[in-house]
Amino acid sequence: MRRLLWPLLLIAATAAATVVLVPTFTIHPFRPQTTRGVELSYVLKRAAPLVTAIALAVVLASALLLWGGARRWWRRGVIVLLVGVTGLVTWFARQNHFEWMFNALPNAEYVGVPEAREFLVDAEVVMGIDVNGTYRAYPVRQLAYHHLVNDVVGGTPLVATY
Amino acid sequence: MRFRLIGINNQNFIMQDAETGSWWQQVTGRAIAGPMKGKQLTHVPHDEVTFGTWKADHPGGRVLKPDERIEARDDYASLGWERRMAKTRVVTTLPKGSPFTPRTLVVGITVNGRSKAYPLDVLQQSRVLVDVLNGVPVMLAIAEDGRSVRAFDRRVDGRGHEFVVTPSERLTLTDLETMSEWDFGGRATSGALAGRTLRRIPFLLEYWFDWQTHQPATEVYRRWRPAQRTVDRLEIPRP
Repeated sequence: MRRLLWPLLLIAATAAATVVLVPTFTIHPFRPQTTRGVELSYVLKRAAPLVTAIALAVVLASALLLWGGARRWWRRGVIVLLVGVTGLVTWFARQNHFEWMFNALPNAEYVGVPEAREFLVDAEVVMGIDVNGTYRAYPVRQLAYHHLVNDVVGGTPLVATY
Repeated sequence: MRFRLIGINNQNFIMQDAETGSWWQQVTGRAIAGPMKGKQLTHVPHDEVTFGTWKADHPGGRVLKPDERIEARDDYASLGWERRMAKTRVVTTLPKGSPFTPRTLVVGITVNGRSKAYPLDVLQQSRVLVDVLNGVPVMLAIAEDGRSVRAFDRRVDGRGHEFVVTPSERLTLTDLETMSEWDFGGRATSGALAGRTLRRIPFLLEYWFDWQTHQPATEVYRRWRPAQRTVDRLEIPRP
């Protein structure tokens, strides 16, 4: 029984790390992506919250059962390491690290042209839309950061992207 | 649907909808993974113009307010962001014999499935480009600010007109058939066709590498080397 615990611990920790780290390293701004790579990343990311939760439970249970019998200091060190890594990736599976870099805009708010002149210069580019007679402008400098803004304009739900 | 930034795919971002969790490619508006895979978002026609041009057209319009916390951290792009972006490394490889460098800015137009890329610097030199794309007579025009771009269908009552730039401070076009004068809004301001408006054609103003990635069969407007120094399009004069 005990003989199975170490492989179980290792496999669970590896599974958790794989399902989280593969998409993280694939979906990267300074590396090219293939269609297959993107699709695989999608599948792994979707599975990650459940897989990591199960893996963490397995890792913790195995760790607890192994702890008492692990006399050598380095065995305990490995257990701690594997628990730590699994915990970390379990947490990371629930994060959106792209939004760490580019915070979402929670609610789109608008100002009139006179106020807008306080933060815009004439020469910079905006994306102007006309939806059912409602005119809105989305400055590129803001969209370059947020990447997207959700809103309803002129009764139409839309997302402004750049 | 409500979207979030979720990732990047060959330097064009991916967004995820909260309702199904599907992934959508920004530049195409198409779902690339998940339950909605293959579905296409409807593009909302937009005007990609300078704030100066836009506010003159829509003085009563409203502008997206910046997020104060992001502003406080100075995280929004600076006025010179395009210059920095132009130097950023590209990760995809262009096919051999590609007519443009990866970060050449092009005006990309697709008409009934056929695509063509028009280099922005050529448009800036000539102010107006006329062409026929998949049977549709098109015209690209750039305003006197050197940066606001619009594309039009040159047909009025089913007949395609030829346009030339008329020397003027503000962009003025003349059609050779009736000698009516037209403004940057595509409206005829004088002549036999006064009051008529040309239909706008949507386009994407973006880097050649990204246009090529998503429109692999694209044609290009013939290469032309302007004789004089190209206008530095990345220079935004400080107020």
